[in-house]
Amino acid sequence: MFHSNRLRCWPGLLASMVAVLAMTATEADAQGEKITLTFANWASAEGATRPGIEKVIADFEAEHPNIQINSEAISFSEIARQLVLRVRSGNPPDVAQIAGNDTILLAATRGLEPFGPYLDADLKSRLKPDALNGLEVGGELIAFPWNQAPAGLWYNKKIMEAAGLDSAKPPATIDELMAAMEAVKKSQPDVIPLGVDTTNRAFSMSSNWPWMRTFGAKPVGENATGANSKEMKAYLAWMREISKKGYIDPGRKIGEFRPLAAQGKVAFLWDQVLVQGVIQSTNSMSDEEFYKEWGVAVLPTGPSGQSYSFEGGHQLIMFADSEHKEAAWAFVEYLATSPEAITNYTVSYNASLPPLAEVPDDELRAELDTPIFNAFKEAIIPTLSPQPYGPKFAAAATAVMAGVQQAVTGDRPIDEIATSIQEQLDRR
Amino acid sequence: MTTTSPTAQPKPARRKAGQVPWLDWMVVPTLAVLALVVGYPIVYTFFLSAQDYNLLEIVPAQYVGLENYKDLLSDRIFWQSLTNTAVYTFGSVGVASLIGLVMALLMENLGGAWFRPIRALLITPWAVPFVVVAFLFRYMYAQNGGVINAVLISLGIIGEPVSWLNESSLAMPSVMVANIWSMAPFFFLLLSAALSGIPIEVIESARVDRTRTWSMIYHIKLPYLRNPLLIGSLLMVISSFNDFAKIWAMTQGGPGYSTSTLVVYVYRVAFENFEFGYASALGVVWLGLLLVFAIAYMRALRTE
Repeated sequence: MFHSNRLRCWPGLLASMVAVLAMTATEADAQGEKITLTFANWASAEGATRPGIEKVIADFEAEHPNIQINSEAISFSEIARQLVLRVRSGNPPDVAQIAGNDTILLAATRGLEPFGPYLDADLKSRLKPDALNGLEVGGELIAFPWNQAPAGLWYNKKIMEAAGLDSAKPPATIDELMAAMEAVKKSQPDVIPLGVDTTNRAFSMSSNWPWMRTFGAKPVGENATGANSKEMKAYLAWMREISKKGYIDPGRKIGEFRPLAAQGKVAFLWDQVLVQGVIQSTNSMSDEEFYKEWGVAVLPTGPSGQSYSFEGGHQLIMFADSEHKEAAWAFVEYLATSPEAITNYTVSYNASLPPLAEVPDDELRAELDTPIFNAFKEAIIPTLSPQPYGPKFAAAATAVMAGVQQAVTGDRPIDEIATSIQEQLDRR
Repeated sequence: MTTTSPTAQPKPARRKAGQVPWLDWMVVPTLAVLALVVGYPIVYTFFLSAQDYNLLEIVPAQYVGLENYKDLLSDRIFWQSLTNTAVYTFGSVGVASLIGLVMALLMENLGGAWFRPIRALLITPWAVPFVVVAFLFRYMYAQNGGVINAVLISLGIIGEPVSWLNESSLAMPSVMVANIWSMAPFFFLLLSAALSGIPIEVIESARVDRTRTWSMIYHIKLPYLRNPLLIGSLLMVISSFNDFAKIWAMTQGGPGYSTSTLVVYVYRVAFENFEFGYASALGVVWLGLLLVFAIAYMRALRTE
């Protein structure tokens, strides 16, 4: 009896619930109370940066009570793939974190919202002059700079001194670097003389690009020398030489050198500005201890006589399909330019430079006045070299880095490797 | 009380079942599901393989007929990947089945409480997920701090650490060792079960005839193991042919292209270059090769 009564009640109860839910939803829509933005990023996928980004998001939500951020954690190596597929299937997030070639790759889908209409003259004047470099596609600004993270040659002063080298004079040329690596290898065989990424991926090509350029090589892009050039062969031969001599540890991603650097097992490291944060979070070094042990300099010059660097900074993109573009822009602007976000994430957790020419906060200005940040601002950023990013870059990177791997891990003649890279590049 | 024998009274309902036409229609839902989840992706892959379709290009896909297949013929990386796939697949399956067979024969007569945990331990690698196997071996192979180099150096077999995964000539054998390690227990399990299924009378008769151990294995046991070996090999050939996780996590197909298999190449073409048309052509070739193996194995089983 009881059972049948309860069953009879169900349809009515269900109908009431549906009605209440429908009314609530309509009301919320009408009043525009809460907007939910989806933010795809790898900052919340990595343990080192997760607390920082979570705090910044919470601060933003507190400041904008009508906006809620749904943070989607996607790894750095996966994010471009997932975003391209989501754009093509009509299901992109509102905002995403992106970097390097992936930014231009996403722009090729025509699924990005240009920033031009949102960026006013005042904000534009507050940005560093080079902050927007390389972020325009077809005359449209397709990404907004979140932070700057160029690469420099980090050197461990203690290891240099133990090898009988002058730690105040980091190697300025490839010859000096070779001599320094030889001294390190001889005096401390368990130390990796040079940490450089030799994996086969687009990021690795970006990271190796300045080394190729200092040898005068430009395998792809405008005015390219091609892969089958004497400059590229000189670069490949040098890579083989340093590998044969045991100066590099092939096959490691740059991130795999960082914990070793924190343990004092890497003498020179070709890495981005953010490495300071990673080392300090790994070995709990204080700032003073870090500056005593580590320094950073421009890339040693090769036959071209010039130093180069690459911009590994992160950008923010908005998607054309977003239904809340104004709210998305407010979030982007907050992340990249608000003193709170710069303090609590960009500088403290990401250990990188903000895109602003002048930060509006004295305390923050003092935080950015360090020997490392100053070396990047004054010496390294001026050596930034543009890269031939675009939809074909990943395929070119696969061909070039496969050739680099063959040079550093095998005995195939360099001429053959260079020809083979060029064949692959021509096929694309 | 009357009783009826089951043999005397046939089951009319079951016998008639096959003759009722509407029952044939009961397979329609299954066929529909199969057509959706298996048929559609295959047909669509064939369709895409005849298109010039790049996910990054805004222009719509264009029909190019057999152009993608023609490109395959002159694609050096495709041929190298195909060769690597064959070496990886048949090398791993061949060695793993041999190790599994030896393990099964050695453990065949070892029963009792003491050996049960050993059997369980021997099977454990098969239960370890592919990605875990890959990272396990990657760290064991590491040039700096890897246990394999440490052991070999302490035994005096090598003088200095070897870069197992980063030497073009060593990377493929090193990856295959990881695959063999995870696959051999499967053959051990399968062949142990098959060995226990050999009729005791056959073994007893052979013993009465004073058959020697080797002869017993070769002439009596191996013929009984033929079918399980064939089926097990087919499953493992398919598994190794499609093995992405181990290779990607250990070498990403490198150094150079020395460990790039078809599945790794397809992944790079499809999800790094976004050339879906060309990747589909690669997929069709891949599917065709697997079908050829499957048919060959089925025929071999049928001849039995």
